[in-house]
Amino acid sequence: MQNNEYDLIVVGTGFASSFFLKKYLSKVGQSKRVLVLERGNLYPHAERLKVKRGEYSAYQKFEEPWENAINNINTEKRWPFTTGYGGCSNCWWGCTPRFMPSDFKMKTLYGIEQDWPVDYNDLDAYYYEAEELMSVSGPEGTPFPRKGKYPLPPHTFSLVDKILHKTYGNQYISQPTARASRSTSSRNSCMASSTCDTCPVNAKFTIENSNIGVYEDHRIELVYGAQVYSLETANDVVRKIYYIKDDKEYKASAEVVALGANPFFNTNILLNAGDKNPLTGRGFGEQLGMQVLIYLDNMSNVGGSTWVNANGYMLYDGAHRKDFAACLMEVSNAPYNIRLERGKWLNIASFRLLFEDLPQDKNYITTTSNKLIPEVNFNGRSEYVLKGIENMKEKLPGILSCLPVEKLKYLEPFPNEGHIIGGTRMSSDPKLGVVDKHLIHHQYRNLFVLGAGAFTTYSASNPTLTLSALSLFAADKTF
Amino acid sequence: MKRRRFLLLIGVGAGGIAIPASAYFLSSTVKEYAVLLIKREFHYLKLEEGSVEKYVNDYFQYPSNNLMEKLKWKAMYYLNIRPDKANSYFELLKYYLLSTDFFINKADETKIVKYLGLYSPYKSPVPNPFSFVLYPPDKIREA
Repeated sequence: MQNNEYDLIVVGTGFASSFFLKKYLSKVGQSKRVLVLERGNLYPHAERLKVKRGEYSAYQKFEEPWENAINNINTEKRWPFTTGYGGCSNCWWGCTPRFMPSDFKMKTLYGIEQDWPVDYNDLDAYYYEAEELMSVSGPEGTPFPRKGKYPLPPHTFSLVDKILHKTYGNQYISQPTARASRSTSSRNSCMASSTCDTCPVNAKFTIENSNIGVYEDHRIELVYGAQVYSLETANDVVRKIYYIKDDKEYKASAEVVALGANPFFNTNILLNAGDKNPLTGRGFGEQLGMQVLIYLDNMSNVGGSTWVNANGYMLYDGAHRKDFAACLMEVSNAPYNIRLERGKWLNIASFRLLFEDLPQDKNYITTTSNKLIPEVNFNGRSEYVLKGIENMKEKLPGILSCLPVEKLKYLEPFPNEGHIIGGTRMSSDPKLGVVDKHLIHHQYRNLFVLGAGAFTTYSASNPTLTLSALSLFAADKTF
Repeated sequence: MKRRRFLLLIGVGAGGIAIPASAYFLSSTVKEYAVLLIKREFHYLKLEEGSVEKYVNDYFQYPSNNLMEKLKWKAMYYLNIRPDKANSYFELLKYYLLSTDFFINKADETKIVKYLGLYSPYKSPVPNPFSFVLYPPDKIREA
């Protein structure tokens, strides 16, 4: 470490931190000094590919099993995440739909939970910016307000997609995605491979291939292997940040601190620092996802150009959200769901159904005797989401009546969606949340807590684009 | 987010099957019945000679395929269990097709089915069978 006094210290190098830094660096002077503390290391995509192929890589030692990084009390509920440079951009699947305007107004529209202190219009410009930075592929005409073309053209439809789009218009669209439909300066075009977590052809946006110029900036000092565990505060101001590197204790000071780790570690840092907000760590969770297999009579479901080929919004918005969850349909090109019936091999569609859940006090993150390891207590789903599943099963046959459906087969819900949401929720009233609309802690006014932990409610949509837009928004409005 | 799963056996048929482990301990026997299952199920396809055996050999070298899973194969063959009733059987058959040129040849039953290597998005030459790589946009009819 070159100094121990900085203008800004940022924890983590994932989406939340990187997009925050992107905007911050564009707004402050060239003399600013920024320290970025990353708990993991650079584990390049090319080296990840070697390991996937069963080859040796010296970098594999940097692969940290998520199960070892937290104390997950309910082992049936899984919370996969990736540590290291780029964070979960290394393992995400690149789904980038915007939230619906209603997602920000759950209290006003449906009497559910709280409204966000920001709304769709506040984030609109930052959605565009994040979509440009990720070179998102997507269609013109979306269920959420959006003008013009996406940076890249949409992925191509299968016949099933075409029929559903013809029937439902912009309620059924080619999925907006950071899996490139055309090659970019640093990414190849998606080949609809059978996996996305480490993209076989490097088509998916990651921080490593982003070309956003953050970590190459001369104002940034990036330290790997630095595990931040606490803060020193005085008079409601963060003075120092504490971390361990190579088994040694370090501390550093800055005018401003931004926590951009995932909600487990952001919460752990806050609680270790003595944050007494009763909502810190409370109400975390994620969407519930389950798969339905749609057996088709004499119709082949071929031609899609990416894994998640489309999104259906037919069960998303509406008055039903007063009583049960919105559902976003993800339409998969999953090669693992072929039919083993002569002549019917590809006569099947596969939808992943994502249901929003609600923040519940019974689901919480706390500390352990090991200051580096948070404890994750997930004690169940809400009735709201379970009713949403029942409604879906009632409505889906009618929605799919435009297709020659033989039968539907519902699979058990997945143990994870890879979206860790909540724990440091956003609010206007300090009594109802942990951070304000600019992601600044209600008590510690020089402390940002970034990421999906700040979401007031979950939405049924994938969180990454929105948390990235929030980071751009927060930095833009503050600096 | 790992969607590829090998052999998560959820029970063979409704009641499951009790098999003394010692009776089927030889892996060569296990492989033999796996080969028979594949050949019986795809009796109407022209399977390249020796290719099923090669596939089965590769398949059972995969670390996730544990011994207790393997012990079921002979029973599945003799009890004529259908693949939709046994997940391990379904997986064996599915990965066989995904590991061949069957989908590259658009499921043409008149062509010999050749094994190309155990299916993996990182290693094998077989594209996603649903994808535009095999079915380009101009070949997909309008709704």
